[in-house]
Amino acid sequence: MTLKDLREDIDRIDARMLSLLDERMEKALLARAFKPGVADAAREEAVLDRITRSSRCLAGPDFTGELWKRIIAEARAIQSRKPKTVGFQGEHGANSEVAARAWDASAAAMPCREFSDVFDAVRDGLFDYGIVPVENSLGGIVGPVNSILINTDLKIVAAMDMPISHCLLAVPGADHREIRSAYSHSQALAQCRNFLARNKLEARPYYDTAGAARMIAQERPKDTAAIANRFAAEIYDLEIIKDEIQDSENNRTRFLIIAKEGGSQDGNKCSAVFSTEDKAGALFKTLEIFASAGINLTRIESVPNKPGDYAIFLDFDGSIADPGVSAAVEGASGVARNFRVLGCYNERKL
Amino acid sequence: MNNLKLTGRKPGGARSVIEVGGVRIGEEFVVIAGPCSVETEEQTIRTAVAVKEAGAKMLRGGAFKPRTSPYAFQGLGLKGLKILDKAKRETGLPIVTEVVDTRDVSWVGEYADILQIGARNMQNFSLLREAGKSGKPILLKRGMYSTLEEWLNCAEYILAEGNDRVILCERGIRTFETYTRNTLDLSMVPAVHAESHLPIIVDPSHGTGILYMIEPMSLSAVAAGADGLEIEVHIDPKSAMSDKDQQLTPEAFKAFMRRVDRLREFMAERAMADADAASRGDPPPAGQGSKPKALTPRDPFADAMD
Repeated sequence: MTLKDLREDIDRIDARMLSLLDERMEKALLARAFKPGVADAAREEAVLDRITRSSRCLAGPDFTGELWKRIIAEARAIQSRKPKTVGFQGEHGANSEVAARAWDASAAAMPCREFSDVFDAVRDGLFDYGIVPVENSLGGIVGPVNSILINTDLKIVAAMDMPISHCLLAVPGADHREIRSAYSHSQALAQCRNFLARNKLEARPYYDTAGAARMIAQERPKDTAAIANRFAAEIYDLEIIKDEIQDSENNRTRFLIIAKEGGSQDGNKCSAVFSTEDKAGALFKTLEIFASAGINLTRIESVPNKPGDYAIFLDFDGSIADPGVSAAVEGASGVARNFRVLGCYNERKL
Repeated sequence: MNNLKLTGRKPGGARSVIEVGGVRIGEEFVVIAGPCSVETEEQTIRTAVAVKEAGAKMLRGGAFKPRTSPYAFQGLGLKGLKILDKAKRETGLPIVTEVVDTRDVSWVGEYADILQIGARNMQNFSLLREAGKSGKPILLKRGMYSTLEEWLNCAEYILAEGNDRVILCERGIRTFETYTRNTLDLSMVPAVHAESHLPIIVDPSHGTGILYMIEPMSLSAVAAGADGLEIEVHIDPKSAMSDKDQQLTPEAFKAFMRRVDRLREFMAERAMADADAASRGDPPPAGQGSKPKALTPRDPFADAMD
């Protein structure tokens, strides 16, 4: 064992501690909704007591007591500030989190394991908003998200259309010539296939792009890299060996921001979902209403709902406050089955 | 010159044009300029902006440096490549940088527009093969102890891998003369044009190693019909981490480029005047018409016309 080995171990531990601190602050912020006020003397005392009692090794009770007092003070400050929360699927550093930050830099992005967790947490009032990818220019629709959207009561309050850029990330100081494999989400690996082949890197599928970056930061392998975005490189302190490694430049993802209540009605875009009767011209009759009203349809997608039944997603330009648009929506509601407006909102293109 | 299946002169003397980032090497005269080594972001970008302003069409800069001594500055490596990339994004100049290690070929290729194989590696056959496989344009410098035939055979290695985008670069050879760093062998310019279809540029910075010789030897190279020049330029040559004595300041480079352009304009004007005279049926100027065809497969003034 050398000084270098020990320092690498310390770097590994620091990376974990940082992730855990973030997670602890997120739980504290969520806890605020369940408490009458910010300060809770009994709970704080219990936490401090438990920490100091367990501190029997090098990190003694005096030190841990001071440290946890500081942690608790910061948690209280965050609870008082009460930033609005946006749930996203994935680990910190996910593309959804980048989109959430681009939408509102002051919001706290809260990681969730599954897409359904994002929807459930927003429905239950745990998060103020949720952000989910709905379609990618190369990969097509995000199936699980669209399936949930069919039956959700939540409203779309904003949308972000964002370029996706992939970077090859490694532990700082790693020799790029030693890298043999790259971990990432299978879709990201597929989007960088030529780059990986050119540099003779083996593609290793992982559950998440940011999760791969976090794993590299924590395990610190010398011969393995991750493919994730620039933000993930920042938060996990990884070196960008090469940026913009995607084979195609036209890689964009459209994200929806969802909430319990609909936003303002003066957006530039609307989303609706409906189904049709199983007979000739049923879909045409619905779309005809929008065509004759001169409303531009920007997306039409059919997603299997129940066997034999398809949900049809329709996005169109305009505001529901516009009488022409609201008349078309009313007309469509009379023709289609279960015609429901998911939201009227502003869409931003980055 | 046997066995030059791919690099040898083509029937009719057709020449290869190698297009890199909108620059057509072999057709238009190209000056590649920049620091010997990438040292800092500021040094590289300031040099890049200056050489572009003076008329350079590509940026050179070493990130991996082959040095005589293992203790001398070896280059910034990957960090240097990232700085070159940034300079490219700011100026739009395509990047020429050396690769010294077979394991680096693909990575340097991710950043560079042209991979340079240096004089010391000219006969590193595994590096040549790897460079050939990369599919990137290759600037192949002449080894300091190599004959023309050996040099063209090294280019043959690259072409044999299916990569026909090779540019040759004369940079001087070792002779008994020690006054100059190397003896710049300008006779290679017409020789390459006679024996091969590949473009040839000249590097008078390494070819002489002496600041005041760079301009006269560059003008000689232009007169000899070279397809371009590679010139070392540094914002502060005195503080350079390598090749202190042969890098031009941006001001000197600007003046240098003016004189190179003047010579090229002059040659183009005279070539046009001679062509007009020929079309009127006047006798050719003394010397020109009597040259053997094989030695001037191409009008050496032709690339001054664009």
